[in-house]
Amino acid sequence: MSLLKPFSKLPGLNTANILLVEGEEQFQQSLADALVEETAFTVNVRLAKSLPLPLENEESRPRIDLVVFIINLTSELSFQSAEASLKYLDPGYFLGKVCFMVTNARNASVPTEQLDAVRKLAASLHCPLLFAEDQTPDGVTNAAERLMTILKVAAGLVPMATSLYLSSLTRCTVPLDIDQPSFE
Amino acid sequence: MAPKKNLLGPTDSDSSSVSDQSASNRSVNRSLRVAEKERRKNEAEDPLVLALKYFSDVEAGTPVVGNDEFENNLVLVERAAYSKGLSSEAVAVMLEFAMSLRMGTSPCVRVLKCLIPSTVVPQEAVVRAVVWLGVGKIPISTQVLFIKWVLTVFDMIDAKDQLRSIYGFIFSFVTEENLCPFICHLLYLLTRKESVRVFRVRKLLELQSKLGRQPFLLHLLSLYKVFCPELVTLSVPSRMRSGFRNHNSPWKSALIAVQKRNGSQVASSSSLPFTIKDMSSSRKRKHGHLELPVLSSLVNKQAQTESFSRKLVPLVQLHSFTQLLENMHRIELPAQMGSLLGSSLALQYLDCVQDESALLRLNFWLGYALHEEFLFCGDGRASQNSEEALQFLDKLLSTQHFLQEAFSSSEAFLYKFLSVWDGSLLRPQILSLLSHIPVVPSAQIGRLLFEPLMQLFFTSSLFFKCGLIECLNNMLLKWLTWHSVYALEDDLDISLNSHTSINMTLSGFKDSVMELVHFVGRLASVGLQLEGCHSLLLSFILDFYETVCDTFLRYGLPLVVMPPPAVFYPVLFSPDPVSVDRLAYIMYRYKVNLTSAKSQEKVTEQAFHISRQTFREFNNYVVVMVNCLWNSKMFHPGMGVQLGEELLLKSNVPQYWTSFDLVNHPAFLSYAVDFHQRCWPGRKDVDLNSIKHSKPWSWYLEYLYSQGYDGLKQFVPAP
Repeated sequence: MSLLKPFSKLPGLNTANILLVEGEEQFQQSLADALVEETAFTVNVRLAKSLPLPLENEESRPRIDLVVFIINLTSELSFQSAEASLKYLDPGYFLGKVCFMVTNARNASVPTEQLDAVRKLAASLHCPLLFAEDQTPDGVTNAAERLMTILKVAAGLVPMATSLYLSSLTRCTVPLDIDQPSFE
Repeated sequence: MAPKKNLLGPTDSDSSSVSDQSASNRSVNRSLRVAEKERRKNEAEDPLVLALKYFSDVEAGTPVVGNDEFENNLVLVERAAYSKGLSSEAVAVMLEFAMSLRMGTSPCVRVLKCLIPSTVVPQEAVVRAVVWLGVGKIPISTQVLFIKWVLTVFDMIDAKDQLRSIYGFIFSFVTEENLCPFICHLLYLLTRKESVRVFRVRKLLELQSKLGRQPFLLHLLSLYKVFCPELVTLSVPSRMRSGFRNHNSPWKSALIAVQKRNGSQVASSSSLPFTIKDMSSSRKRKHGHLELPVLSSLVNKQAQTESFSRKLVPLVQLHSFTQLLENMHRIELPAQMGSLLGSSLALQYLDCVQDESALLRLNFWLGYALHEEFLFCGDGRASQNSEEALQFLDKLLSTQHFLQEAFSSSEAFLYKFLSVWDGSLLRPQILSLLSHIPVVPSAQIGRLLFEPLMQLFFTSSLFFKCGLIECLNNMLLKWLTWHSVYALEDDLDISLNSHTSINMTLSGFKDSVMELVHFVGRLASVGLQLEGCHSLLLSFILDFYETVCDTFLRYGLPLVVMPPPAVFYPVLFSPDPVSVDRLAYIMYRYKVNLTSAKSQEKVTEQAFHISRQTFREFNNYVVVMVNCLWNSKMFHPGMGVQLGEELLLKSNVPQYWTSFDLVNHPAFLSYAVDFHQRCWPGRKDVDLNSIKHSKPWSWYLEYLYSQGYDGLKQFVPAP
């Protein structure tokens, strides 16, 4: 078992590396296509089904600046696989270099408990939780843009900002149930 | 149609207009009938007609298993239903067949599932089917399925009067535990004031003690309470789960598909003079305007009897504002509350009458629709109907704009939607809906609004950031306007929303406003840092502070909040002169507000108290600004920005204390050079320091002020 470490390698010049982890490989590819369109700096997108990453490419693999777990709420498996992958990350990643991206949150077939579970997971790890509309091209572009905002900070491309700083502003909180009737 | 025509008055001209209308209706009916006959002739050999004939004539007790004739006919009907929908007669025949259990229970479910009406559902058929429920042979699950079907097609039932008259009969099913949630929903849709009776309330309360505080019971009870507050003493929670959760997505998506297909066909052929489908071809049925054809048939019957001097007048019959005024006291609301959104007359009515039951029903419908469409989508529907969603939200927005207040259901929806929003879907609509929400109590504002917004703000693009700041500025403007309107009526208690009874004290309101201003201050501080003080973002932030600096004088709210240093300094040192000028204007307005507050404090005893801290902050900012821009005393000890002496010397900037005055400030440098050239045209080498001499300096200031920098001029008037 090998841990992925955030600071074991040197960063490249004007480069940001992002790792998209998705068990079902549905959204990964379109998101990656949208991500590499950035022109201001080089974006390397790595895709994985789950962690740990295979040992064979260990040497050639660049330093990963941001790990994104994509969770499809309509599938229980997708959540479980993300949860299982988490333990192959170095604790250093949880200082702002991990985020969760959820798809299908507005779907009728999603039980509310499923979303709550993801929220709890993200909140307990102090990570941001982003929602994405993977069905529409606009939604994909927007999701890529938002990941890019976080990635730029995580890769050190924004002066005066660190990923830990950003994550203290964006991390997920578990909301109390709004549905709960309040008896005044 | 003449705007002053009164359909109900006794004069001659009026009665002629009635007959005119009924005549035109008759002719329409005739042409409809002709078209119908034509169609019948064509369809005489249609297999579908034969299939329907089979179902209406088949004898009770015919076996289902191995019955090929039955199977073939049912497949035919199903195919027709899913492709074009069933005509109203077909729906009646099939419903009667299914509910009578002529061939046992197994085909019943199958038939119910394919009952997709193409136009309307005849009321008689539904009433008959409800009667079959009472016979008691139908399994409970099938009964539930039937009621769900009624709920789904409720808006398409051609009239509701007979259904209302069997209200008591329908009510009796409430005791059936599995049916109860659905029956409650149906009753909610049918309830009128006359239907609220003591024994029904008692029954519901009894059920509630048995089943617990179920949302469906609470909803029905809250409607009863609105109609007859004296009968329902129960306290109903103010914030309830929105809507009944009876989602019938398979039917619904089939219905939408059928309607879409039919809509396009109608548009292409347009054979009938006017059709029901015309009304709903582009939009979904429930988002449509007042459904004229359906309601007018009912109206005509009444018009013929001419004996309704004390009866209610349906809203559809009114065509002008004068008519509305004359019949204000006896208006009957339409069966579909959503149709109110499309009619400005109806909105006018809502606005002046403040009818609690109408608003409650409208809110209920709206909450349900919003929830279904945006939070509870079926597979792939999100992308499919975005055009409809757009139109729907625009309509809602224009309604809220018209009423100048938000619906509580849209507010509740927004809180939920924000927590799963990706920040781009329907962004303009969502942000403007958001800017309409009424004042949120300061205890909840953080959880409901700030937390989701903060997460979105810091992970989104620059344009989203600008959009959100603009939205929050509009929200603040609306809150302040509400305050300035309602605070006049009463000094301390302001009821912020004329319809709902959210009363808020002045201090509570001030707390909320303060929370909002501080929140935007935080967003702005960090946002500017992350975006490298982008001038577009800066401009939106300055817009916001232009609202904030004037809260006392313009809106009469005794509250002054200064911008945080992380906003003040980036603007002061920004390389674009317009921002610096706007900052000077904002500081000037702060000064005017603070001095007038202070002078009022001296005159009247009970004026509000502004904390010393605010004055100290303001004075500090003014000193920094004047020292930096006018007096060339940057980095003077005791100012906001301090740097070590040796560090400044080390930087090797000559005369570092002048580097941000009006001559050397990066924003004004080009003006200084221009001025220098005009003042001393002959000089070859530019010496900007020569502007600092007293004569040229005053000329220079005048020159700057003449370039349109009124903010600077107001902040430090020319000597």
